[in-house]
Amino acid sequence: MIYQFYVERDSLLHSLDPRVKIIGMLIGITSLMLFNDPKALIPLFLFILLSGRVLGKLGIGEQLRLLKPLLFIVLLTVLIWPLVYKPRLIGLLLGVSFSLRLLGFGLITFQLLMTTRQRELILGFVRLGLPYELGLTLTIALRYIPTLYGIASTIMDAQRSRGLELDRGNLLERIRKTVPILIPLIVASLKTAHELSIALESRAFGASRRRTFYRDISMKRRDYLALGILLTCFASLFYLRFVLGFGHVVIYR
Amino acid sequence: MIRVESLHFAYDGREVLRGIDLVFGEEILALVGPNGSGKTTLAKHLNGLLKPTRGRVLVDGMDTREHTVAELSRKVGYVFQNPEHMFFEETVFKEVAFGPKNLGLDESEVEERVRWALGAVGLGGFEERTPYSLSGGEKQRLAIACVLAMRPKYLILDEPTTGLDWKAERSVVETIKSLREDGHGILLITHDMDLVLELAERVVLLEDGKKAFDGPVEEFFSLDLESYGLERPELLVLAEKLGAGFVRSVEELAGRVKQ
Ligand SMILES: Nc1ncnc2c1ncn2[C@@H]1O[C@H](COP(=O)(O)OP(=O)(O)OP(=O)(O)O)[C@@H](O)[C@H]1O
Ligand SMILES: [Mg+2]
Repeated sequence: MIYQFYVERDSLLHSLDPRVKIIGMLIGITSLMLFNDPKALIPLFLFILLSGRVLGKLGIGEQLRLLKPLLFIVLLTVLIWPLVYKPRLIGLLLGVSFSLRLLGFGLITFQLLMTTRQRELILGFVRLGLPYELGLTLTIALRYIPTLYGIASTIMDAQRSRGLELDRGNLLERIRKTVPILIPLIVASLKTAHELSIALESRAFGASRRRTFYRDISMKRRDYLALGILLTCFASLFYLRFVLGFGHVVIYR
Repeated sequence: MIRVESLHFAYDGREVLRGIDLVFGEEILALVGPNGSGKTTLAKHLNGLLKPTRGRVLVDGMDTREHTVAELSRKVGYVFQNPEHMFFEETVFKEVAFGPKNLGLDESEVEERVRWALGAVGLGGFEERTPYSLSGGEKQRLAIACVLAMRPKYLILDEPTTGLDWKAERSVVETIKSLREDGHGILLITHDMDLVLELAERVVLLEDGKKAFDGPVEEFFSLDLESYGLERPELLVLAEKLGAGFVRSVEELAGRVKQ
């Protein structure tokens, strides 16, 4: 079971200022949205994957494994596009590219989480101008994804032991079968949230308006350089897409 | 008979069970060992939730790799540690009925099983209560009833008394005893050595994914338990001081001392 995303490594991505990485994530996600042609999205996806490997020392398998929960939606996307779009071959291609976008979003987010400690992430959000409460909420939410994932698989095991067969029946039956999973999961989440709020309040959360930080972050030369490279890449992609018209196919005429 | 043959299992390449042989029948078998030694992982193999990476598990001759969890649930019932992880219905009755319904039984049979299972755990009369409104011990017993309603021959209880107060623990212990009398084989995973002393007929000690001990209770308590991070029951310490030898309950000790 994965209880946290962060993996300790000695890499460039790990040592960059969190602000640069957050901006990088936003740039990555925007770039993925610029294109809808597999011709552009496949290389882009591979590029993101490889940068995780080279710059962040994250194994390829390690990165892809986290995308497994998205597999169902991806499959659905790839199957449905050719059904609703004609010509079907183009539909299939579009299905593939929309899946790649989705996987790309996931990948970039996970890369940020795998290379950045929670407290640095909060600090990054706050220093970018977000209120502390919002930064904390955001990172707590992210922090609890793996925990909830773990609880969900325990619940699934428990219900399977009572004879629930999740992988049998038609679509409607399968949707109904998620009820025995979702209700205990919601109850567990609410309980966790309630306990968390008590824990926060008992440590006087919100008692003082202006927070100070024991550890602060500062942009170094390397960080500015990385930011520069990121912005340059983004500008080139923009040029490619809007001036040269590359990587976009018209879907609706 | 459940037969585990040189079972190996790895999560994502990390080997957690490293060659386990085990035979388990109509008895109360206590499975003990430090945190992370692989108790839960081993138990999840017995009803097919996990499949061996090497070796095999036979449940009354059925290879778990060739049968689904749903099929095996008729033979092996697994009560998870946290009962709340399985409650989703509005009433206790419906909650217990969920399992038998999954087996495809007709309504009268389902109803009969629910009444029987609730009776067996001492929750007769609770049919219309909401599962989440029950006390800790009642929730635990309801969880047992939910699994019992599948009429399995073997029952796995993963830390059924953790977090319960004395009275609630007693109610669960009494339930376990009466299930044993009804002929169920029970695998009890626990960290509570008092419970092992009181209930077990045989003990298996896991350490680091391997069996470190498998034998009768008396022999188990003659091991150097502290080296496995386990605590000797106060009762045994007291009995030793009084020169009463090996006893399994306070009553037994009192009887010996009187003699
Ligand atoms: N789903 C999982 N994915 C990866 N590793 C796991 C998973 N579940 C358990 N493990 C690991 O396998 C090992 C054995 O875990 P297991 O839960 O079987 O131990 P246990 O004896 O039941 O411990 P406890 O007394 O804490 O319940 C541990 O090191 C644990 O971290
Ligand atoms: Mg366990």
